[in-house]
Amino acid sequence: MSKVLEARVVRKTFEEGSQRVEVLRGVSLDVTRGEIVSLEGPSGSGKTTLLSIMGCILTPSAGEVHIGGQRISGNDKALRDARRKSIGFVFQQFNLFPALSARENILYALGIKGHKGAKAEIEADRVIDAVGLTDRRHFLPRDLSGGQKQRVAIARALAGSPEVILADEPTANLDSATGASILDLFRDLARSENKGLIIVTHDPKVRRVADRVAGIADGLILPQAHAA
Amino acid sequence: MVSLARKNLLHDRIRFAITLAGVAFAVTLVLVQVGLFLGLLGKATVTIENSSADIWIVAKNTPNVDFGNPFPETVFLRARGVPGVERADNAIVQFVNIQLPSGATENALVYGISDPAYWNLPWKVEAGRAEDLNRGYNLMMDRSAVLRFGGFDVGDYRELGGRRFRIIGRSAEAESFTTTPIVFMDFGNAQSLLEQLSGQTTYVLVKVEKGFDPKEVAARLRPMFPFNDVHTRDEWAAASRGYWIESTGLGMSMGVTVFLGILVGVVIVAQTLYTSAVEHIREFGTVKAIGGSNWDIYKILGEQALIAAVCGFALGAGASYAVRPAMASLHLTVLLTPQFSGVVFVGTLAMCLAAALFSFRRVALIDPALVFRG
Repeated sequence: MSKVLEARVVRKTFEEGSQRVEVLRGVSLDVTRGEIVSLEGPSGSGKTTLLSIMGCILTPSAGEVHIGGQRISGNDKALRDARRKSIGFVFQQFNLFPALSARENILYALGIKGHKGAKAEIEADRVIDAVGLTDRRHFLPRDLSGGQKQRVAIARALAGSPEVILADEPTANLDSATGASILDLFRDLARSENKGLIIVTHDPKVRRVADRVAGIADGLILPQAHAA
Repeated sequence: MVSLARKNLLHDRIRFAITLAGVAFAVTLVLVQVGLFLGLLGKATVTIENSSADIWIVAKNTPNVDFGNPFPETVFLRARGVPGVERADNAIVQFVNIQLPSGATENALVYGISDPAYWNLPWKVEAGRAEDLNRGYNLMMDRSAVLRFGGFDVGDYRELGGRRFRIIGRSAEAESFTTTPIVFMDFGNAQSLLEQLSGQTTYVLVKVEKGFDPKEVAARLRPMFPFNDVHTRDEWAAASRGYWIESTGLGMSMGVTVFLGILVGVVIVAQTLYTSAVEHIREFGTVKAIGGSNWDIYKILGEQALIAAVCGFALGAGASYAVRPAMASLHLTVLLTPQFSGVVFVGTLAMCLAAALFSFRRVALIDPALVFRG
C-alpha cells in the first residue's frame, strides 16, 4: 500500500527562554490509505507536536513530511495549501464555530478549502449523512450532545475529501459508549472513504479499531510498534 | 460561502448592540454638531444667498455682511455706468437700538433697501408687502424677533433710533448669525437713523445683465473703486462665513467636536472588535488550522466592521434627522444635506475599518497549533 502521509526523521526543537527543548528527536511515521494508526504516548512525549508537523501546522526543525509522495516545503503557503487540500482535522475540543449550524460549520470549512456553491452544498449533505446527523444538520453546536458535536467535527474533516484525517484525542471528552461509537465511525469511514487516519490518544480503546499502534516517548517512536 | 462574520455578530447580540450604540453615538454627534454649525453658518450668509444682487460693493476690508462700514452714497451712480450692470442701488446694514414695549432697549440689525421687492430683501414675507416699506416710516420684522423682542403684530409701532416706525409686515427665515433680529425698511429711513450715515451707504447692490458673467463685471468694477472691495455673491458669502469661522474659533471648536466623535467611534468599535477577536481566538485558530489564511480572518473582522458601520450610521443618521424638528422649535437649525450625510457615511466606513485594524495584528499572531491545546 502506498504511504499517503509520511514523516521522515523529523526533529523539532523549541526555544524556551534561554533553553532549547528537543521535543522530537528523529521520528518517522507513516499511514496508508484505509489504515488507522493509533499514536499513543504519555503527556509531553511529543505526540501532539508530531501530529502538528504531520498536519502541516508546524514545520520541523529537521526532517521531511511527504503527502502522497510529494515533499511539503516549509513555506506558509505550501503548508496552508496542504492543510486545505489533503488533511482533515478532528480536535479534542471539537472546535466547532458556535454561531454556525452543523451544516454551516461544514459549508464554512468547504469555503476555506475552495469549494463553493451547489457542489459545496451537495458535499456538505453527503458528509452529514455519512456521520448520521441528517436530522440534526440545522442545529447549533450548543444544541448538540458531545458525541454529536464530534460527529459534526468528523464530517467537517471529511468534507472536501482530504487524503488523511488527523484526530487529536477524539474520545477524551466523551463518555465510554459515545467514544466507542465515534471509534466505530472512524473505522467505517476509514474503510468506506479510503482515508488514512492517525489518532493521537491516551485511550486504550482506540486499539480496538486501529490497524497499527505507534508508541512515542521522550520524542522517539518506540520500537515495539505493533498491529492491534 | 457562509458568513461567519455576520453569524458571529448576531450570536453576540449584546456586544453587537454596544458596537452599534458606539457608532450611532459618534455619527449623531458629528451630524448634529456639524449640522448645527452649518445651520449657523447658513444664517451668516442668508441675506447674501437670497438677495438678487450678483455683486456687492463694500467698504474696504469689511469683514462680513453684518458689519457694514459707511462710504459715499454716490458710488452706485458710477457703478451703473459700467457695461454689464443692469442695476445698482444703495443698501444699508447697520445695528440700531430699538425700544421695546417693556421699556428695555435691544439691538436690531436694520437692512435699509432702496427697492426691497427688486432686491428680494426680504425674500419670504408672511404678512404685509415689501413694496409698502418705502411708503412712510414702515418696517418689516422677522418672526424670529419674537425671542428677543417679544411678541408683535402687524400694525404695532416700535421706536428705532429715536424714530417711531409702524410694523407693516412679518418676514421669515431672516435670522442673523449674531441672533440679532433683522428688520427691513426703506434705505432713506435707515440712513436717517444714524448721523454718521448721512450721505453714506454701507453697500452697493449690483444686478448683472443677462448674458454677463458676474466675475467679469466685478473685475471691471474693481479698478473704478480703489477704496472699496467688490465681491461676487459667492465670494462675499465665503468671506462672511470665513470671518465667523476664523475670528470666533468656531471652526476649531467644530474640528475638536468632529475629532472627539470619531475618537469615540474608533475606540468603541476597536475595543469591541478587539475583545471579540480575543474571545474568538480559538475559532480563528481553527480557521487557520483548516487552511484559512490571515486574509480570511481579516475579511471576517472587516465585514463585521462594515456591518457595524452601515447599521450604526443608519441608526445615528436616523436619530439626527429625527431631532431636527425638536431643534427647529428651539430656533436651532441642523443643516443636513445628502452630500454632507454621504461624507459622514464614508467617514463612518473608514472609521470602523480603521478600528478593525487594531485587531488585525492580534489575529495575525494566532498560532493554529493552539487548536490542539485542551
